[in-house]
Amino acid sequence: MNTLLRRARTPAKDYSDCSGCSLCLLVCPVWRSTRDLGMTARGRAKALQHGALAADIAPSIQSCSLCAACATVCPEDIDLVAMTLDLRRALAQSAAVPDLPTMTTARIAAAPTPSARVALLAGRALRERAGSLARVAALLGGAEAVATHLDNGADIALALESGLRIPAQRLEGFLAPLRPLQKIVVSDGLLLRHLHRWLPRSRIKSLGEALSSNTSVRRALRASDMYVIDARAYHADYERLVKYYDGLRRECGCSFNLDLQRIAIPAAAPGLGQTPEADDDGAQARWILQGRQVARIVVESLDERAVFERVSGLPVVHLADLADIGT
Amino acid sequence: MRGTALNIAAVEPGTVGPCPVAPDALVGIARQQTNPSRWNGASWPEFARALSASGIEVRETTAARGAFATDAGGTAYGLAHGVVIARSAGEIARLLQSAQRYRVPVTVRGGGLTTEGESVAFGGVLLDMTGMSRVLSIDAKALTVRTEAGIFWHSLAEELRRQDLDYLSAPLNLTSSVGGTLGVGGIDVNSARLGCSADQALALQVVTPTGDIVECSDTQHAELFQRVILGYGQFGVITEATLRIRRYTPLRMHYFYYASLRTAIEDLQFLDRNDASDYSGILTIMDRAVNLLVAFDSIEREAQFMATWRPRLRGHGEFGFGARMLGHYALRPWQLGEALYLLRRKRELFPQLRRSEYMQGATMLDRSVVFSRAVWKFWSSRQMVIPDLATAAEKFAEAVERGNAVCHQYFPHYTLYLVGIKLRAEHSAHYEMSCIPPGAEGRAYGCEFEPIMDAGVYSRDYLQSFKNAIYDIGADMGASYYRFGGMMKGYIRRVFGDALVDRHLAWKRRADPAMILNRHVIF
Repeated sequence: MNTLLRRARTPAKDYSDCSGCSLCLLVCPVWRSTRDLGMTARGRAKALQHGALAADIAPSIQSCSLCAACATVCPEDIDLVAMTLDLRRALAQSAAVPDLPTMTTARIAAAPTPSARVALLAGRALRERAGSLARVAALLGGAEAVATHLDNGADIALALESGLRIPAQRLEGFLAPLRPLQKIVVSDGLLLRHLHRWLPRSRIKSLGEALSSNTSVRRALRASDMYVIDARAYHADYERLVKYYDGLRRECGCSFNLDLQRIAIPAAAPGLGQTPEADDDGAQARWILQGRQVARIVVESLDERAVFERVSGLPVVHLADLADIGT
Repeated sequence: MRGTALNIAAVEPGTVGPCPVAPDALVGIARQQTNPSRWNGASWPEFARALSASGIEVRETTAARGAFATDAGGTAYGLAHGVVIARSAGEIARLLQSAQRYRVPVTVRGGGLTTEGESVAFGGVLLDMTGMSRVLSIDAKALTVRTEAGIFWHSLAEELRRQDLDYLSAPLNLTSSVGGTLGVGGIDVNSARLGCSADQALALQVVTPTGDIVECSDTQHAELFQRVILGYGQFGVITEATLRIRRYTPLRMHYFYYASLRTAIEDLQFLDRNDASDYSGILTIMDRAVNLLVAFDSIEREAQFMATWRPRLRGHGEFGFGARMLGHYALRPWQLGEALYLLRRKRELFPQLRRSEYMQGATMLDRSVVFSRAVWKFWSSRQMVIPDLATAAEKFAEAVERGNAVCHQYFPHYTLYLVGIKLRAEHSAHYEMSCIPPGAEGRAYGCEFEPIMDAGVYSRDYLQSFKNAIYDIGADMGASYYRFGGMMKGYIRRVFGDALVDRHLAWKRRADPAMILNRHVIF
């Protein structure tokens, strides 16, 4: 209760609260790729503290992968993801960013059937693989219980990432079908972060947590596996998930893409592809595997499958492919 | 005007008055903090053009320069004319050669964890060494690592741990850089056994102030090695380092609580003298809750401690100490505010030291992660001052008690961090004019006095006055300091004496004819 009251009284912190400790550098994939402080949350905060405008630091703002590792370790509890998104919004408003995606004000999507209890907001990669999508649905409760073709809010996620304003009507159209459902399972970590805020009473889980909670999936995990946690989803609910995955590690014995601070190292993230410093050579995936003796790689996000297949020479499977679902 | 308000003696008209910055003028005077004057930038355009022509990128935007406008202390502010991100020793050599030619000051920055403005550029070039932060090679058999010097200790640990290795000793701060630490010393909770962090350096690649790239060690260019280690960045830029490393072991940590600083210090020194633990140190909440921490690399060492040394310690366990504190404050209800503060601090801090994801059973997986995260979360603020005293073992308790009295006088809440530092006779040349106190033999001790600002706002002059009051104790007792550079360099001659300082100054002038490298840090 005291904590809640204190939070209610304490105004949200922003860039002006950055003390420059640099802890965010240690976990930043863009920092690892560029070794350029200016491309990090700390660099942005300090530049803003000294009078820079969003346009002055546009390459830094655009390079962020939004993996949220920085926000997780920030001792000042600055919402660094929100800070970066605000800056992207400022850039979008100043038209400094070309080729913004267009937002529709309304969208027609399939409504959940009366028997549906779970909404699966699958990303593009999963939707394009009908077999994988069916397996995921089966593991989450079966085709009847899981609504797989709802409006997945992909344009909203893209708008969030790009700094576009989301029309209220569009947002409500996306959220309304989700409210009556018992559980929402989300592929996109950025969307997951915002859904927690938009639907505080709903039970919302990442796809990785939802699948790895399945007994048959857990049984199929081996101590020789490298389990690749989806960084965005993990950091969106870090305090709870760090304990969840710690339990999974104790139970299964597999390795994780976690650093010494228990922060997830992303192998690929959408934002990393936006700048010349992009991690297109698989350096992040190689760093995850460096010095680890693993026989198989298990990914939560299908977006990370290709890069591990390219750099590892090991079998790479999606979490949903582990379980025997009797089909 | 009443001259006595400033505590400066009245001067007869027509005579030369006492010098306000003379060595004997400091004690007892409430001094104002002074930043170094900014370099006027006379030759900057030509210099910047020369750098660009030699392929070195100089960033001159406000955004780029503003990112380095202050250090962890947050009390010294300055803007460089331009920022260069270090990319190779060759680039740094060309940069320094041009800087000598155009007489442009160069300020080198690693993690930027200085508190006295030592890594803040007051004009000239800010050289950001974190651009050179890759591990070059690990020799698991010889137990050595070669790394670029801009690397954070924590990043080094991340790489070493993939091979089940670890560094020997480093500051309990994730964002200290290797190069910066080797330049000033570096203290860990195992320093009482292993010495300061700089003692683990076997060899360095250094770019001299005139732009020569030199490999140095105890056997190769030994004099340069001696000057650069603990040299406060005066004699070269460390670009690569070969360090001793070791096999990784998680820690078995124990905490003992004291209500008396002196008793805890005596017990700490008792343990250190007897090599009773692998790690030792004291961390306090004011002088009310004094926590002696000891830790072990193995079950055997822990068992030996428990059997032999634990019964001789006078500290209590958490429960026993809590009961004593309850009794103490029950008899002193007027100190309720302090009691509540201690309780809140305990409730917030202790769980952070035992987070399950950083523990494996009874062992702590990584001391730097646990303590550094806690330090930044519970001790840091936009302004930090951490004056310190380093003394010989026999003078230490008195120095800490006197410093503690100063803390009481200036701040309602503060913390003290105390550790031993094993001294290596073969490194005595490194220790000259450094944080290692001149008279210490065998083992020295250091104490950091850190006010906890909470929501308090203090003027820079107030903070400076506090630091002076602590440092005056050192000057009086013949101690040394970890942070004697930057804004505190007024104490250097008082502590080390003119002869030693002049000898180093002569070396500096020979090595750095234009006096461009880190010029506001020491000389």
